[in-house]
Amino acid sequence: MYLNKPRSRFQKRQLIYYRDLLRELVVRDLKLLYKRSTLGIAWTLISPLLQLLVFTFVFRSVLLVNIPQYSSFAFSGLLVWTWTQSALFQATGLITGNRSLVRQPGFPITILPIVTVTTGLIHFLLALPILLIFLIVDGVQLNSTFWLLPFLLVLQFVLTVSFAYPLAALNVTFRDTQHTLGVLLQLMFYILPIFYDLNKVPDPYRSLFLLNPMVSLLESYRAILVYGTLPDWRSLLILAILSSILLPIGYRVFKRQSERFVEEI
Amino acid sequence: MNPAVIAQALGKRYSRYHADRPRTIMEAALAGHRRMKAASHFWALRDINFTVAPGQMLGIIGHNGAGKSTLLQLLSGVVRADEGQVQVTGRIGALLDLGASFHPDLTGRENVFVSAIVAGLTRREVMGRFDAIVEFAELEAFIDNPVRTYSTGMQMRLAFAVAIHTEPDVLLVDEFLSVGDGAFQVKCLDRIAHLKANGCAVVLISHNVEQIQQLCDQALWLKQGQVEAYGDPEVVAVRYAGIVDLQAQAKKFRSYSQAVELMEVKLLNSQNVVVAEIQSGDLLKIEIEYQSLQQFQNVIFSVSVSDENGQIYFNTNTSTSALVIPLSVESGKIRLCVDRLDLSGGSYYVNAGIFAPDWSETYDYHWHRHPFQITWTPNEQSMLCPPRRWEIVNSPISLDLTQQK
Repeated sequence: MYLNKPRSRFQKRQLIYYRDLLRELVVRDLKLLYKRSTLGIAWTLISPLLQLLVFTFVFRSVLLVNIPQYSSFAFSGLLVWTWTQSALFQATGLITGNRSLVRQPGFPITILPIVTVTTGLIHFLLALPILLIFLIVDGVQLNSTFWLLPFLLVLQFVLTVSFAYPLAALNVTFRDTQHTLGVLLQLMFYILPIFYDLNKVPDPYRSLFLLNPMVSLLESYRAILVYGTLPDWRSLLILAILSSILLPIGYRVFKRQSERFVEEI
Repeated sequence: MNPAVIAQALGKRYSRYHADRPRTIMEAALAGHRRMKAASHFWALRDINFTVAPGQMLGIIGHNGAGKSTLLQLLSGVVRADEGQVQVTGRIGALLDLGASFHPDLTGRENVFVSAIVAGLTRREVMGRFDAIVEFAELEAFIDNPVRTYSTGMQMRLAFAVAIHTEPDVLLVDEFLSVGDGAFQVKCLDRIAHLKANGCAVVLISHNVEQIQQLCDQALWLKQGQVEAYGDPEVVAVRYAGIVDLQAQAKKFRSYSQAVELMEVKLLNSQNVVVAEIQSGDLLKIEIEYQSLQQFQNVIFSVSVSDENGQIYFNTNTSTSALVIPLSVESGKIRLCVDRLDLSGGSYYVNAGIFAPDWSETYDYHWHRHPFQITWTPNEQSMLCPPRRWEIVNSPISLDLTQQK
């Protein structure tokens, strides 16, 4: 049994400390990304833009998919998925890649997946102005539904963190988790309505699609951003309940495994 | 005052796994659950008890693999104990793997902020101490350069400066004082002494026995995961040093100048018969046969009795008896007669040496080469067995309870 009694109970300092820690680690992640390449933070924009360019070419000029405001449609899907995809992939390697933090006495190790998902969120927010430009170019009128965006961001954040916890723990026991996950995420990209319309999916498959929480998230984002309609509240409610069940489970799994991290890495 | 660190019946068990334990999901799926289980267990630490009060320093010594680092990890809380309890009061600071958390691409300044916040300070607290940290590390001119341009020594200095400025209540130090240049080491020790004076409890791992003796208030000697000795650093460190010496002896046969050579050391009883075993309290004569290769005005013969751990129980030499022993080129014998050897039963060694009159030179020395046994029947936990008897003073009947040997 391990007891660490704080010398004085000072809740406010603890809260300030967690805020500072989160901020410092997120800033470190961003700085490293920025310092490693001459283009720096611009890379986070260039990569989805290039993807978008290819999609627009393939689906508008080769396959002749007829989706109105295709750039806005595809780019919004790409941004949402990129956040979850890259956060999950990076979170999986967190424990094995941060030996010194894991061994630091008193370090709240459970903050690490939150840091990764927050870094992803910041990239999302940095790319948001580009999406707004696409919306304007496509002639979309932003209306009041736009202000539901923070609500969706919180939902996606919680959902991503819930999966990030067990994945990070699993990668300590099985070192190929990250590679396997990379492949799975790549496949997942194609079975999400990112560059095609969910309504085009034939019926028996569509109900299967809807089991994927990412699908309801994507549809809700598009509803409030591209179509200016209210999202499907029922599916969002299910999503919220799902997140509130998955997060404690994921956290517990991570917490229980974390006692063995130092021995295993 | 409440202790800052309490370890109670602490134990840590590690598992050994099959060599072909699955390390990947694919292998696990194929091998099934059974190979995931540990093949065997062993205790890396067991039954460790100690307390460290605020302002005290505990030194931990022991050979490699004795469990010293595991113990620090248990104290820091990053590894869970399988038995017993650890209680630590206040913030923990650690000088474990110094500089490991630095990122080479970030500047010194950025790294100071990251590692100080990771170590438990808020951003405002770091800003308040930043100048002191940089000044202590003597890196004012380089603080905005990337850490990859720093030398190992510079990184160590910066890491130490950060760790020491977090003002921990408990400081864990793993064998770091052997790095860095002398002047900086002194500065580090000063700073640790300062923290200690302000009530910081320190747990220090060291291979340096002298350091333990000078700095620590208590010492703990770990041997194969168990406490071999715990208590006064002088006593523990001397015993530990004895063992280290002994092992060094076993490995290499030390050669001395051998201007006078010890030819033979014999243990004799009162009838001058060679013995390998005596009873506690018996007379013992130690006969040294020597061969001198040159003439000497005076030499010192020294004899001691020690046990397997190197603890010396009895030590004498010819200079304490003010004897002057001139030697010519010849062989000869000298005999030390111990009228009573009142040690308790066990295995002992007689050690003998020949030295220059001012101890400046060792001509020859036999350490742990002449074993003998002392037998002793009563079951008493003591080192000495002097002649003794009980006298019952109040009783009108006088009982003669003289100990029978």
